[in-house]
Amino acid sequence: MFSFELFTQALLAGIVIGVIYALMALGITFIYSIVKMINWAMGEFYMLGSYAQYLIVAYWLGPDLWYIAAILSAATVFFAGWLIEPILIKPMFTGGIERRDDYATVVTIALLLLLRNLATAISGPYQRTPGTNLPGVMLGPLPESGARFAAFLAALAAIALFTLLLKRTWLGLALRATSQSRVGAQTSGVDVLSLDKLAFGIGVGLAGLAGALLAPVFMVYPTNGVVTTTKGFEIIVIGGLGSVPGALVAGVALGIAESLGATFIASAYQNAYGFVLLLLVLALRPSGLFGERLRQA
Amino acid sequence: MSGIAPILEARRLSKRFGGFLANDAIDLSVEAGEIRGIIGPNGAGKSTLVNLITGVHQPSAGDVLLAGESLVGRKPHEIARKGLVRSFQVSRVFGNLSVIENLLASHLADARMRETHGQGFAKATRLLELTGLIRLADAPAKTLSGGQRVLLQAAAGFMMPSLTCYLLDEPFAGVNPVIKDQLIALIEEESRARGVTFVIVSHEMAVMRRLCRKITVLIEGRVVVEGSLDDVAARADVVAAYLGKSLV
Repeated sequence: MFSFELFTQALLAGIVIGVIYALMALGITFIYSIVKMINWAMGEFYMLGSYAQYLIVAYWLGPDLWYIAAILSAATVFFAGWLIEPILIKPMFTGGIERRDDYATVVTIALLLLLRNLATAISGPYQRTPGTNLPGVMLGPLPESGARFAAFLAALAAIALFTLLLKRTWLGLALRATSQSRVGAQTSGVDVLSLDKLAFGIGVGLAGLAGALLAPVFMVYPTNGVVTTTKGFEIIVIGGLGSVPGALVAGVALGIAESLGATFIASAYQNAYGFVLLLLVLALRPSGLFGERLRQA
Repeated sequence: MSGIAPILEARRLSKRFGGFLANDAIDLSVEAGEIRGIIGPNGAGKSTLVNLITGVHQPSAGDVLLAGESLVGRKPHEIARKGLVRSFQVSRVFGNLSVIENLLASHLADARMRETHGQGFAKATRLLELTGLIRLADAPAKTLSGGQRVLLQAAAGFMMPSLTCYLLDEPFAGVNPVIKDQLIALIEEESRARGVTFVIVSHEMAVMRRLCRKITVLIEGRVVVEGSLDDVAARADVVAAYLGKSLV
């Protein structure tokens, strides 16, 4: 069964989907590193992004302008996060809450249920698609759907832009400083609470962008965020929580593991191969590929 | 020097943690340009006082004034932007940022400074030269030794564009003599060149004698005496609070 061509095909397919997964993981890890919380409703922001893409493409711009629609969808989700953060997340720091992790888990799971059920109530359980008229492309030996390849390129661009923002701007420096020490950043005059709002918006915006880009590939329905979120969390554990390079490397690694497993072992277990990779990493490097071991005080 | 309006003032400042009165009606008045020392045995409430002044904790009663303006209810970042900067007893450097980025982070406070960040680099470079950290400018701060971190953290405060008053909480603890001298030189330089006011909490009596003309002694949450180190060290109640050991 093994042929070099098949292997290259599987490898390329894995890289393509892995980069898109990484976008989701980047959002999770970014919110964690600034706001110090896990956002369990990440998949629902992915879902919001996919619905926004569907509405904008199907009722307004049409499939030719999919890239403008994706930017608008990501921006919509950014603003949703930016508005929600001060209401739901901020009390974690200002409300005298002692168990912040527990608080964040409860409110974001409540948000998850609310958004998912709202989507079901409004749009019904139907699977929708914004449609695409992008022609298929050949990546070397791999025939790839146009929508998937476009999503891959757009995800790469978004990751590059995000990295530039972090590494090359004052805002990026403030964000990196805050991720290292909230108190230290405050002492340097950084308004950490408004940075939280921004970081939460950017993080869910990345999930929304992933949702918008994958809308024509994986369909639009109320629970479409579940699979991608699961991958996102797998990637975070593999790459190390709070690590941006970890999210990228682990995203691609997960994509490749799934693709190779599905091609050469059995495609029915596609979602299981990532967990095998996850178990291996946990056994060998419990803090993830790029994770830092926390010192217990 | 009397007659000059104080730059930093605490009025009847109190903090209660449950049944424990950590600060009990503290009055403190620091003149502009002064280098004030605060000493006291462990548990005297020195760090609590610093936390109250810089907005980390809210006082149970009393007021804090910077150049006549009340700081109570202000958030820590607002207080920092007003020019009242602090260092922490436990180092708060940003481990994964480079040494020079640690300094530039303190430059973030003022939006106008971002446009002139060339000046920020120049200032950061000068501070790194003064502290001898220049050859480590691009190394991640987590690779620094404990003493170097203390130095970096202190230097970061000097990067604040609006700095007028600098509270240093135990800056000399666990620091080797060479770095201690660099830190003292830095404080003297910034005091002379920019007229920065300092409030230094420390147990290092030799350093305190060299830097501070006036020392405030805190015992059990109260100010018991103020004066030169030799004057306050001669007091029986101060000697007794230090378990009978002579201070100097």
